[in-house]
Amino acid sequence: MPKALYIDPEVTLRPQEHEIKFPEIPVMQYKKSVKDELKEGNFTKEDLLRIYRDMFTIREFETMLNLVKTTGGYNGVEYNNPGPAHLSAGQEAAAVGMAYNLDTDDFIFGSHRSHGEILAKGLRSIEILPEKELKKIMDEFWGGATVAVAGKDFKGSTKELGVRFLIYGAIAEIFARTTGFNKGLGGSMHTFFTPFGIYPNNAIVGGSGSIAVGAALYKKVNRKKGIVVANLGDGAMARGPVLEGMTFASMDQFHTLWEGDMKGGLPVLINVMDNQYAMGGQTKGETMGYTFPARLGAGFNPEAWHAERVNGYDPLAVIDAFRRKKALLEKKEGPALLDVVTYRYSGHSPSDQSSYRTKEEIAAWEAEDCIVAFGKKLIEAGVASQKDLDAIQAKMKETIFEMYKLAIDPVISPRMDLVKDNELLGDMMYSNGSVDSFGDAKPEVNHPMEENPRVKQIAGKERFYLDKDGKPVSSMKAYNFRDGVFEAVVDRFYKDSSLVAYGEENREWGGAFAVYRGLTEALPYHRLFNSPIAEAAIIGTAIGYAMCGGRVIPEIMYCDFLGCCGDEIFNQLPKWQAMSGNILKMPVVVRVSVGSKYGAQHSQDWTSLCTHIPGLKVVFPVTPYDAKGLMNSALQGTDPVIFFESQRLYGIGEQFHEGGVPEGYYEIPIGEPDVKRAGKDVTFLTIGATLYRALKAADMLKEQYGLEAEVIDARSLVPFNYEKVIESVKKTGRIIIAGDASARGSFLNDLAANIADLCFDYLDAAPAVLGSRNWITPCHELEEAFFPQPEWFLDIINEKMMPLPGYVPTGNFTAAQQIIRAKKGV
Amino acid sequence: MPKQGQSVESCIVSEFKKKPGDSVKVGDVLFGYETDKATFEEESQVEGTVLAIFYKDGDEIPCLSNVMVIGEPGESFAEFAPSATQGRSEPSSAVSLRSTPPISDGPLPLSMPRVAAASEGTTSPASWTAAPGAPASPRARKLAEDKGVNLDAVAGSGPGGRIIERDVLAAAAAQGKLSGLAKAKMAEGGMIAGEGSGLAGTVKAGDLKVWKPNHTDIPGEGTEFETVKMSNMRKLIAKSMYNSLQNTAQLTHMLGADARKLQALRKKAKKALEEGKVDANITINDFVCFAVIKALQKFPEVNSHCLGDAMRIFKTVNLGCAVDTERGLMVPCVKNSESLSISELSKALKKLADDCKKGSVNPDLLASEAASFTVSNLGGFGVEWFTPIINVPQSAILGVGTMTLRPIMEDGNVAFVPYLGLSLTYDHRAIDGGQATRFLKAVATEIETLEVEL
Repeated sequence: MPKALYIDPEVTLRPQEHEIKFPEIPVMQYKKSVKDELKEGNFTKEDLLRIYRDMFTIREFETMLNLVKTTGGYNGVEYNNPGPAHLSAGQEAAAVGMAYNLDTDDFIFGSHRSHGEILAKGLRSIEILPEKELKKIMDEFWGGATVAVAGKDFKGSTKELGVRFLIYGAIAEIFARTTGFNKGLGGSMHTFFTPFGIYPNNAIVGGSGSIAVGAALYKKVNRKKGIVVANLGDGAMARGPVLEGMTFASMDQFHTLWEGDMKGGLPVLINVMDNQYAMGGQTKGETMGYTFPARLGAGFNPEAWHAERVNGYDPLAVIDAFRRKKALLEKKEGPALLDVVTYRYSGHSPSDQSSYRTKEEIAAWEAEDCIVAFGKKLIEAGVASQKDLDAIQAKMKETIFEMYKLAIDPVISPRMDLVKDNELLGDMMYSNGSVDSFGDAKPEVNHPMEENPRVKQIAGKERFYLDKDGKPVSSMKAYNFRDGVFEAVVDRFYKDSSLVAYGEENREWGGAFAVYRGLTEALPYHRLFNSPIAEAAIIGTAIGYAMCGGRVIPEIMYCDFLGCCGDEIFNQLPKWQAMSGNILKMPVVVRVSVGSKYGAQHSQDWTSLCTHIPGLKVVFPVTPYDAKGLMNSALQGTDPVIFFESQRLYGIGEQFHEGGVPEGYYEIPIGEPDVKRAGKDVTFLTIGATLYRALKAADMLKEQYGLEAEVIDARSLVPFNYEKVIESVKKTGRIIIAGDASARGSFLNDLAANIADLCFDYLDAAPAVLGSRNWITPCHELEEAFFPQPEWFLDIINEKMMPLPGYVPTGNFTAAQQIIRAKKGV
Repeated sequence: MPKQGQSVESCIVSEFKKKPGDSVKVGDVLFGYETDKATFEEESQVEGTVLAIFYKDGDEIPCLSNVMVIGEPGESFAEFAPSATQGRSEPSSAVSLRSTPPISDGPLPLSMPRVAAASEGTTSPASWTAAPGAPASPRARKLAEDKGVNLDAVAGSGPGGRIIERDVLAAAAAQGKLSGLAKAKMAEGGMIAGEGSGLAGTVKAGDLKVWKPNHTDIPGEGTEFETVKMSNMRKLIAKSMYNSLQNTAQLTHMLGADARKLQALRKKAKKALEEGKVDANITINDFVCFAVIKALQKFPEVNSHCLGDAMRIFKTVNLGCAVDTERGLMVPCVKNSESLSISELSKALKKLADDCKKGSVNPDLLASEAASFTVSNLGGFGVEWFTPIINVPQSAILGVGTMTLRPIMEDGNVAFVPYLGLSLTYDHRAIDGGQATRFLKAVATEIETLEVEL
């Protein structure tokens, strides 16, 4: 909603004389022969033979895996590979054609079926990297452990060693060896090697569709060389995150609002490996309606994404298309879409019997086989003899067999011993780094921080909720929760040039809850912008951005929208640090606002969903002091943090930290709960805004029964240090764990179970969980019956811990009622 | 744990005769156990080694749950351990002994003060009515251990009578400081702190006393008297007798019956036995019971159970007969006694008494609900009259005393005639005085006019 863009009714409302025109999308228009290309000087003989070699390498690699899966060995050497193998035999020309024009700075992202792509891109990088650089990459990788095996007793050239290194690293990864490209933690569907520009392949169909767009955003914003290619299947074009990612990449603002050298499209190419099948479903004629995936481009922008459908059985046709598209992206005319026609000989996986297609169909495609056909063309053009081609085949077969034997050797290619070293993988879940800036440039800002209107406004505020005389400060003058978050965020924007923030209404509006008010003035568009209403793209692009080395704050306006980016939050963001063998960092701070007042789809506390997924850090500060300190920690760190904020509390002042919220930079370590009030008779451990209701309950308990409650604010959910809670429970013997999440299946129960375990001998009653009811959140007027209320704390004490003399309960917390509700499922 | 009769849900192990590691042969006694009325011994049916015993002496064990495991040394046994649900259910008596009524989760007005707050705290722990085996929070247990407080002697003020921290604190404050040795002894259980004789009132090991619920301390323990625990059976008898007097409106009428006919019949029976005409030694009591059965058939409202708001009128006479045994009073019953001849009745009563003394009686026949009426005979000891206590829910019980000679006018002369003392205790809720008197008179008339074929 930028004011700069005027929506003119004169134009918008009046009758028009024209229709929406779609550009024509070329289909299979490459017609050159090998001789033509040679004549035009586009290739040397060596180039063409290398293309043949690369295609054959992929074929033999996949053949090896297929034999291992189906016959339990390769060339008579037995091996059992229990993991997945989604093979791409048949798609070699598409893969090699894709990689042929790419430099090491160009990144590819893939799918579950990407062995061919990584080999093609790897072989390409080995070919173009200066020997010294290639040697350095290999020597430094895992401290030289991988190259030491691949180069065992090998006397050949660095480039030849590079080929061995690539093949060995990939096989070792697929076979879960520590010498594999990701220490064996990624496996077949996630094998990648960033020094060659090979970024994560993704086992979730279409997962790369938004992540790759984020990588392109990183390249653009940080002025990094190269383009980004997302290799997706034709089936993936049905996936929401792909369509959301394409929507994000199509945003007008890159052309209309972004300024200077930032103006222009994202350097991203969606490359559809159109192998005709989505598992067993036929995308053409059965499960999709696009006829050709290329058609999709027409829906996203006036250029139809420069979409083209090309012959993926001819490597030269693919190379031709990529050459043109890459040039276009480099001119900032992206994004682009290619639909590369190919065919998958094997089933979806070795368990697929191809019952959905005829033998005749497979035979007909095999008769057109891209490697055989290309070989014939080379012979026809006089580039090579059959003998030359046989020699290439023999050499690659030998190399793959050698690498295979090395990779299955448990002594030289060991697996991680997670039984013996029980904490090894646990220690890889987070990178726990502390990094001031991920950018190497000077942060781009519009003015010095002290000139910022919001910064000036905050400077005039009282930083504690009481003034010097102990009187409450008016809400306009009180430093509040919003200010706490803002100060940490603006500080980081002035420190880290890589930092970007985006989400719905993040710019002029300042975020739906005005946290970012003032940032618009401080930052150019490319560092703070409004995204489409596409949560999967907001988080997906942030993941791609971080993976490439940038820091990012995506925002989810309401906690309830987490479901819209479920895969990104639960399957992508938490996993890639460990899945990469700790090669990737994930400095993403997802701001999520927890609603109230807005009913069933806007008032849910879903913190528990995030705590359940290993790999995320989860914080939920509820005071300005904690908000600033925890946001500083989150932004200094290198891990994904889900940063929850309560809409009940944006205007609240600091009531706890003596002297108010410090003006300078400080960090509150993630994972440390905080005692907000000391007491001796019962402990209240709260998550989120429930803290303030717990404090009210503590007041009532003190006034009416002379009992003192100790109130602890969890602040962080994951990680969580129990020591302070244990200390408290040892003292009080009783604990209520309270939060606004619906009680069933919530993290409250997790805390309760651990406390019961850790404090058993000190407990005078079982830890009690006080969450919201297991209902829809009713509308605001009815919320008191849903969210935990101060009286409910007393009810629980009376019913479950120590009967309070003369107490009249407000709610029914009896065991009988608990059972009845559970029986009803509410 | 065998199920001794249909109504028996659990049994108390009186004593384990074997311990883990012992080898057993077929027929060895493994453990003794008792129901509310009878004791039994369980013999081994297999040979082997005791691998595990899941309970200890005095535990109440649900029927049909595993008590111990016999096998070969080294075999695993954990899988036979009774599950939590099967496990050590609290003796049902504990509930009624609590200082506060058990709190149901339902309709009890929650605003009612639920507990006699122990923290009022001026009373000494020993005088509280505590519930042995009442649930205690882990914190309370730990604190009790630290402070040397016997949880059995503490009344719980927490939800459902749970002993919580504050209860232990109050108990600890009341008993004062314990010496280390006293604490250690206390931890073994069964003791409470007496008055401290150590420095500053510290309770020393020698000051500890055996804990006795339900009575106050008096001086002289050990010198003048010794306090011993009641056997489980004694406790059960105590409970049911007390229950009878607490919950019924019972009173006793006494009436004499001319016993000349009885004496004649007894003489006749003795002769018949000697001559081999009968195979039973029919006693005076057997004839009295025979007469009572006849009378009861005419007074069905006496042959009954009083249920408070309903009567259970019996169509058969299930005659209970009190038997004195070493372990205490037992009252087995003869079902359908009205269908028996005098010699059959005699034999049935004899067998029941023998079974009771041996401890092998069927527990179903011992339940007070099994009999419709009870006869208790103390005549053999010279007691003339007494006031038997009703075996609730039965409506009445007849006490039979000894024969005494009573002068009567007969044909103008004074003669001494043997009279049998009959004492009928009846529940006035069920039976009015006139009716009770008419029944008692009918019993006397039956005795006086009894005709029996031998």
